[in-house]
Formats: sequence, structure tokens, C-alpha cells
Amino acid sequence: MSAIKRIFGIVWALMGVGIVPLVIKQAMKEIAAKPSEENWIFWSIVIVVLMPIIAFSLITFGVFALKGEYDTLEDV
Amino acid sequence: MAQNVRDVSTTEEVTSTRRVIAASSVGTLIEWYDFYIFGTLAKIISEQFFPKDNPTAALLATLATFAAGFVIRPFGALFFGRLGDLIGRKYTFLVTLVIMGGSTFAIGLVPGYKTIGFFAPAIVFLLRLLQGLALGGEYGGAATYVAEHSPVGQRGFWTSFIQTTATLGLFLALGVILIVRQTLGVETFGEWGWRIPFILSIFLVAVSVFIRMRMSESPLFVKMKKEGKTSANPLAESFKQKDNLKMVLIALLGATAGQGVVWYTGQFYALSFLQNACNIEFVQSNMIISIALLIGTPFFIVFGWLSDKIGRKYIMMAGMLIAVIAYRPIYTIMYNDANLKNKVEVVEKKDVKVKNAVKGADSLITTITTKTFTDGTTFKETVKAKFPVNPALKAALPKDKLKPETKKEVTLPDNLRYKMIGLVLIQVIFVTMVYGPIAAFLVEIFPTRIRYTSMSLPYHIGNGVFGGLVPLISTRLVEATRPGPGLPPADPLAGLWYPILIASVSFVIGSLYISNKTNNMDA
Repeated sequence: MSAIKRIFGIVWALMGVGIVPLVIKQAMKEIAAKPSEENWIFWSIVIVVLMPIIAFSLITFGVFALKGEYDTLEDV
Repeated sequence: MAQNVRDVSTTEEVTSTRRVIAASSVGTLIEWYDFYIFGTLAKIISEQFFPKDNPTAALLATLATFAAGFVIRPFGALFFGRLGDLIGRKYTFLVTLVIMGGSTFAIGLVPGYKTIGFFAPAIVFLLRLLQGLALGGEYGGAATYVAEHSPVGQRGFWTSFIQTTATLGLFLALGVILIVRQTLGVETFGEWGWRIPFILSIFLVAVSVFIRMRMSESPLFVKMKKEGKTSANPLAESFKQKDNLKMVLIALLGATAGQGVVWYTGQFYALSFLQNACNIEFVQSNMIISIALLIGTPFFIVFGWLSDKIGRKYIMMAGMLIAVIAYRPIYTIMYNDANLKNKVEVVEKKDVKVKNAVKGADSLITTITTKTFTDGTTFKETVKAKFPVNPALKAALPKDKLKPETKKEVTLPDNLRYKMIGLVLIQVIFVTMVYGPIAAFLVEIFPTRIRYTSMSLPYHIGNGVFGGLVPLISTRLVEATRPGPGLPPADPLAGLWYPILIASVSFVIGSLYISNKTNNMDA
């Protein structure tokens, strides 16, 4: 079980890293296609609020998992 | 031995615990009521406080304000969580109650955009931020306070009463709005009647403050303070120490993020979907949600109790998994049952009424078309075309200003209405599975000295940010499938991908990393 937890740690960390360029690229594409006020508001909320939370928490969590910090939390 | 680890079999102790639950729950219920009347009245608030020129921008501005109310919640969690760990639970969640009640009352008094211009949306925005801040401090305090009064082995059961308050708060908000709207009439409600649910809050808060003033401090906090074990810097201890930070992260990613999206999808998104995608009439859609909430609410207590017996994790994870699998089928049935393309019209019952009126320099033509279908469904379309009487002025206006305002309302027959209640109820059951045990789960994974701070942040990021953004992101995902302006979206269910994705990730993380063991929660 500990090995699976650690391997998945890499997945979470990569997801956290990957989400940043993905979201920024999509935001630039959509704002360039239609630079409306609603587009700006929506992407500002996503980039300023949601993306940093997801990226930071997934990367940190992934690194902790990879280092085996969660190995001792067993329930079965 | 901690004070909570005691035999509570005596009548006196059970009565005392019940009093704690009642006093905490009433205050938390009122805070949720305050918070949700804003969201429920988003459309009217948009008309009152934001420029009407662009209705989409106005609605989005309100949603952004709505989101701001949610996004600010984690800051409230940090600010009041720290206070609660330093000076105590009782006084901190008393302050949050007063701030919430005051802000809600004030929103009911702010003059509209027509009267004070830009100041109107600016003031409402600031008050909304205060609401978010107060709510951020309230929930963690109430959950911690109740848990610290509860005996070991029954914490899931007792804290589940706090868990019912979010749904009951929404139910209360919907109920008050419906009653006021029905009493005053739609037009008066739109003009000034919408202010009544906000103003009413001040009386509810006064009662709750009176009750809470008479409560005593949490026994675990008192004991810890007496022993001089309180944290000097709860923020640093919660988020800079690896052992606590790793629990904050697991609570967020493995539990509260998934819980947040399931919560908002089952209640807020369901209402929005009924009204906007299915065009179900305002009163009927609100009644469907209200009845489902009322029937589903006792399940918070059932799953809270069950989590004491079989563990918190299994119930929360099962709720997330079933929700992920069932959302698309449930919403497909809801959409198809209300879709007029799947129904046969009784042509001879079709009725068209046209009214002409002149209001000042404008001419207003209202066309009301009513259709009846063989299954008993009725459809009413109201088209309002407003333009200047003067032909020269009319010709000078841009085309989009002359675009008529269209309102579509579908009223379902009894059998389909009951089916809709059942479909929403299933979603409310998912909500009770993920939300019922979560307060006990959160309070148990953090030590008493930093519990208020540590549990409040993941809860409000998960519930407030991940969950609170469901309406905004889901609306956007549906809009992205619209082939062109004025055309229906290609995939009206596209909004579900956001909650499905977040709940799936949360399910995998929770299943892999969360422990099902119950912590004794000693100080």
C-alpha cells in the first residue's frame, strides 16, 4: 500500500505542475478570441483563486506522499 | 483524562449536550440563511445593483460577487480560527454571528444603482465580503465547540446536527423568499420586497446571540488553557509544521474539495439547472428543491451516527463515488422530462395574448403564449418588446437594444414533479453521505490547541472555493457548448464535468490516504 501511495505522489505532483500552463494557455486563447468583460472576470477568478490553490496543494501533497509522509496512515 | 471522555449516560449530561447542540446549531443555521439569501436572489440583486445594459454581465457580476463571498471564506477561517484557538471558541463564534447578521441587514437597506450609482454595487460587494469573512469563522467554531462537548464514540452523531444547518439554512432562505414573494406579489417583490428576507435576519441574529451568550466555553479549551497548553501562534503551528500541514492537505484534497462540489451540485446547481436548463417555473422549481431538502435532511444525522459505527472515511468516499457515477444519468432524466421536444402538444389548447401599452416615450408589446401538452405539462412564453414610440428614435437604436426580453416557464404535472423531487432527493442523499460525517472527521484529525484554525481552512477552501465556484464554472462549461448567440447549448449537461472531475480526484486521494480510524481527540 505504501508503494502505491508513493507512486501516486508523482501523479499528484505532476498534475499540480501541469495544470498551470494548461489553464493559462486556455485563458489566453479564450480571451484573445473574445476579450469581453465576462471572459476577463471568469479567467481572473480561475487564475488568481482556483489555479494556485490546486497547483500548490497538489504539488505539496504529491511531494509529501512521494517522501512517504502518509505511509503510516493505515486503516485496514 | 480529557473531560469529554466521560460517561454521558446520565440524563443531566445528555440534556447539557443537547443544549450545546441546540444553541450552536441555531446560530449556524442563521448564518447559513444569511449567506444563502444573497445567492438565491442573485438575479434580483443583479437587476438592483448592477447596470442593466448587459444582463449577462450583470448576472456574471453577481456571480462574481457570489464567488467573492465564497473566496473570502478561507481568510475568515484563518482570522477567526486563530482567535478561536487563542481566546476561546465561544466569544469568537459570537463575533462572527454579529458580523454576519449586521452585514445581511445592511444589504437589505442599501439603495439601488438607480439611486446612488456605482456606490450601490461597491457597498453590496463589501458587505458580501464581510458575510464571507464571518461565515469563514463560524462553521469551524461551531463544529469544534460541539465536538469538544461530545463524548467519544458519539461525535459523528452530535456534530451531524451542525451539519444539517447548511441545508436547513438554504431551506429557510428558499422558504422565506417564497412566502414573501407569494404574499407581496412578483412585481412588488422585485421592486422592494426582496429586501425583507435580508432585514429579517437582524431579529434572528438577536435571538441567537442571546442564546449563545448564556453558553459556557468548550471544556477541552478551558482545560487546555488552565494547563497553559494553548498555542502561541496557531497559524504558524497549523501550516508551517509539516505534521499538521500534511493533515490540512489530506483534509482538503481527500475530503472537503469533493464534499464541496457534491454539496453545491446537489443543492444549488440542481436549482439552477431546473430553472435555466429545464425552464421550470420559479415557484415549482423552488418547491422541488425545498421538499427534497426537507426529506433528505434527517440523513445527515443517520450518516453522522453511522460514521461512529463504521468509520467516517467509508461513508464519505461512497458518497463521492456514487455521485460521480450517477450525476450524468440523473441530470439526463431531469432534462428529458422537462424537454418540450419530447412531448406532444394539444394544439387546440394553444393560447396567444398580445398586450400593447405605452410607458412614457416607450411602447411595450407583451406577447404571452400558453401551450398545453398531452402529459399535463404547460408552457408559458412571455415576450416583452420595448421600443421608443418615435420611429426616428427607434431607427437610431442599435439592434441589440431592440431585442425582446423572453421568459420561458415550464410547469410540470404532479407525476413528473414527484419524479423531479425524487431525483433531487437522490442528490441530497449524496450530500448527506459526504457532509454528515465531515465535521467529526475534521475535528478529530487536528489537536485541540490548533483545531479551530486547522480545520476551518481546508473546510472553507473545499466547501467555499471548490464548491462555491460550481455555479460559475458549470455555467461557463455549458455556455462553451453553445454554437452561437441565442442558440441552445449543444450539451446542457456539460456543467457537470467540473464536479465530476473534482469529486473523482478527491475520491482517489481520500480512498488511498485517509485513515478510517477514529481519533480520540485528547487535548
